[in-house]
Amino acid sequence: MLPNKTILIALTGFVLGSVFISGSRKVFHLTSTDRFCASCHVHPQTHSSWKLSTHFDNPSGIIVHCVDCHLPPEGQGYLKEKAITGIRDLYGKLFKDSSEFNWEQKSLPEYAINHTYEISCKKCHQNLFPLQLSKDGDEAHLYYSEHEDELHCINCHLQVGHYSKDAIHAKNVSFGSVVTENEIIFTHPARIEKFENFTEYIPGSNVKFDMVAIPGGTFQMGSSPDQKAGQPNEKPVRAVKLSPFFIAKTEVTWDEYLSFYNATDSEGRTTDRSKKQNIDPDAITGATPPWGAPDQGWGTGTRPAITMTYHAAKTYCKWLSKITGKKYRLPTEAEWEYACRGETTGSYFFEGEPKDFKKKGIFGKIFSKNSDEIYQYINFIGSKIGKTIKSGKVKANPLGLQNMLGNVTEFCLDWYAPNAYEQYNKDTLINPSGPEKGTEHVIRGGSFKSRAENVRNASRDYTKTDKWLMTDPQMPKSIWWYSDCNHVGFRVVCEPENKTEQNK
Amino acid sequence: MEEKKGSISRRKFLGNTAAIGAVTTLGVVGLANACSNETKKKVIIPVPSDQAPDGPTLKAGLIGCGGRGTGAALNFLNAGSNLEIHALADIFQDRIDDTKKELKEKNDVEVPEENCFLGFDAYQKVLDSGVDIVILATPPHFRAEQLEAAVKAKKHVFMEKPVAVDPVGARSIMASAKKAKVLGLSIVAGTQRRHQRDYLKTYEQIVNGAIGDIVSANVYWNGSQLWYRDRQPEWSDMEFMIRDWVNWIWLSGDHITEQHVHNLDVVNWFSGKHPVKAVGFGARHRRVTGDQYDMFSVDFIYDNDFHMHSMCRQINGCTNNVSEYVRGTKGYSNCRNTIWTPEGTEKWNYEYPLDENGEQMKNVKISPYDQEHIDLVTSIRKNEPINEGENIAISTMTAIMGRISAYTGKEVTWDEMMNSDIRLGPKTYELGKMDMEPHFHVPGSESKD
Repeated sequence: MLPNKTILIALTGFVLGSVFISGSRKVFHLTSTDRFCASCHVHPQTHSSWKLSTHFDNPSGIIVHCVDCHLPPEGQGYLKEKAITGIRDLYGKLFKDSSEFNWEQKSLPEYAINHTYEISCKKCHQNLFPLQLSKDGDEAHLYYSEHEDELHCINCHLQVGHYSKDAIHAKNVSFGSVVTENEIIFTHPARIEKFENFTEYIPGSNVKFDMVAIPGGTFQMGSSPDQKAGQPNEKPVRAVKLSPFFIAKTEVTWDEYLSFYNATDSEGRTTDRSKKQNIDPDAITGATPPWGAPDQGWGTGTRPAITMTYHAAKTYCKWLSKITGKKYRLPTEAEWEYACRGETTGSYFFEGEPKDFKKKGIFGKIFSKNSDEIYQYINFIGSKIGKTIKSGKVKANPLGLQNMLGNVTEFCLDWYAPNAYEQYNKDTLINPSGPEKGTEHVIRGGSFKSRAENVRNASRDYTKTDKWLMTDPQMPKSIWWYSDCNHVGFRVVCEPENKTEQNK
Repeated sequence: MEEKKGSISRRKFLGNTAAIGAVTTLGVVGLANACSNETKKKVIIPVPSDQAPDGPTLKAGLIGCGGRGTGAALNFLNAGSNLEIHALADIFQDRIDDTKKELKEKNDVEVPEENCFLGFDAYQKVLDSGVDIVILATPPHFRAEQLEAAVKAKKHVFMEKPVAVDPVGARSIMASAKKAKVLGLSIVAGTQRRHQRDYLKTYEQIVNGAIGDIVSANVYWNGSQLWYRDRQPEWSDMEFMIRDWVNWIWLSGDHITEQHVHNLDVVNWFSGKHPVKAVGFGARHRRVTGDQYDMFSVDFIYDNDFHMHSMCRQINGCTNNVSEYVRGTKGYSNCRNTIWTPEGTEKWNYEYPLDENGEQMKNVKISPYDQEHIDLVTSIRKNEPINEGENIAISTMTAIMGRISAYTGKEVTWDEMMNSDIRLGPKTYELGKMDMEPHFHVPGSESKD
């Protein structure tokens, strides 16, 4: 099926032709057929997924072709975009190996937006309020008309052109209800005798996770002036003194989160009314069913739990504390950075600076330092994985913690303020916990979507509640699940009891 | 793509074009002005016709045979020639009988018995009876469902204000209005100031810059107590509530929505915007039945930080005032007929027509209640659709936002309203038992949702 040299020459001719002799209608049409597109764009599943989609098979019998969506309409930049994409794709064809492309990543909305033109959607879909539109459709399109500048059609209609069997556009009531058979169900949580690493057992489940003892101490939080990649919100550096604490070795996994989800009760999930009879008034209300697939179809298990809201993460900690009789919570950002650094003071907890790991052109690759090290520790954009990875797949930091940097960005306890460090006084801060008030919370560590400069020890970011709920079609929007955020998770800390500290 | 990112919002654009009304050619002049700050073309608001043009018979069905519904039917018949009231619907037989009698007495119109429908689903039977137009005049709670059905049945609509009692209903009206617009159906709302010639000409002055940019506004409906009904022993709970509907929140939306929406709508219309948030007070002192307040005072904030103070009261023996007032950088206006300089010198007023004795009249020549229907019939017969559905939904939502703020004592935002699942009233309707224990809202004690 691979095109031979003749086709390549013809393609080159087409590109040049499009640029210089845009007059030839015949070439123009020949080079806009689905077959022509498929001859070069050797996307493994795009052709078959398109044929399974509603843009190929629908009650009207209309077939929507590649160029109808992936180029702007004629007369609105069609030729220019065709030429640009033609050159880019030809380059890719000649100099790159398409089997190395991460198609799954390129199908995520934030990537798909770059090669799907909203003006093309709207060229055909001129009426956003057809008479047949459902009540839910009314609400969604009203929302869209109030937020047109922030939304692209495919934020909600991602699968219309390429079918995905994992896509769910409904309340996902059965999510996470996995039947486990013949497994050891833990009856008791871990007992902490000494201030040392321990394994926690979630009673009533088969789930356990490791906690690492972090001795108290003092460190410099933030980026010093000599760290070139440091951002203004990481300055000035503050001396921080912290009490000892335990922190989870990995980000909270789906297994862990789902044991909470399945153990708690909530509106819309419990169909068995008899269960509600003896309801404990202090029982913790759990999350409502998600909309769509919270795991993005990537799978659950030991991948980090994602898309749960900050509120949901805090409720998880509350529940975990109750069921284990300990004091679990989110880390403060000081605790987080202290645990991440593990007594290192550079940009990362290993050798190197962001500039060493940035995406490079052909010359950069030849002349720069070996950039392999970062890949052993961090799942970031340069890893080209494009999604979360299971825990235990990367090397740990000096304290034995994994995925502190990259994979998923992690919720912290503090309210976010860009000048939080400036607001602190100059003395050594003791167990600081950020501004008293705020609207969004600190998130730390960067994710699989972050560039090298944003997965540093000191990098700070914050939750974006409205943006992350943009396409939630429910009314009101969920307090439990983000519809538009698949790169944020969390990790728990446990506060040692006083007597444990004394034992130390 | 560039258009939608322009400096003037879509809502403003809608506001302006809808105001321009039925006359398409002149509408284009206004559009040019609304889309570009540089083009200083004058917006001309056409004088509406005194009568709808002749044309084939248009049959209307009246849904809701109360006083205003019957009035609207008569206004419709006054709008021009070949206009018929073809069908009636209500849930009470005596209401249908009264309307039939009044139509007979005043306009010698007979509605055949087989076209009179009784019950909560009677509106659907009217829609199926072969009408071209429906007049929606039931208590506002039912409007959203009925407009949705009317648009599905592809009917032109006259609908009384307000059009909803809760955010879910207001958004449903917005969506139905958008669908009607696509289909080329006309929707006229009972916010008659938009059809009143003095208001229209004052709007023309202001939209062309007579007072500069609006910097503040005040709106008032301080009036006397509205009617209420004494409960009759043979009435079910539901029957009593519906007969007493202007006193029940789930049916009327409270009087800030039911009545004051007229004044709120004027400022939304003149500014081409809606408020983005509101903080209000309200209380109940003298009301006899129902669960509503009888006074509200709300500070509405528009996006460029101009404030509209709104007051409404339904209590006897107080100073009354029903009016609007806008102040701009270059003057101020009562929105109705006069514009003053910032110093208070009158610089423009609307010239009312002269009566038989050559005296200047105090009101416009054509009653605005008739004018609404003249404009509706004209738009249908000239095939130049007008659609006020979205405007009245926005103004209704404005009132609801103010009401919820007053009930809770908290700031309420437009975005919250656009995302709220608040829906009042029962899910299904029957003339039976209802929760009659009035729940009076106490500010500071409840959440916004």
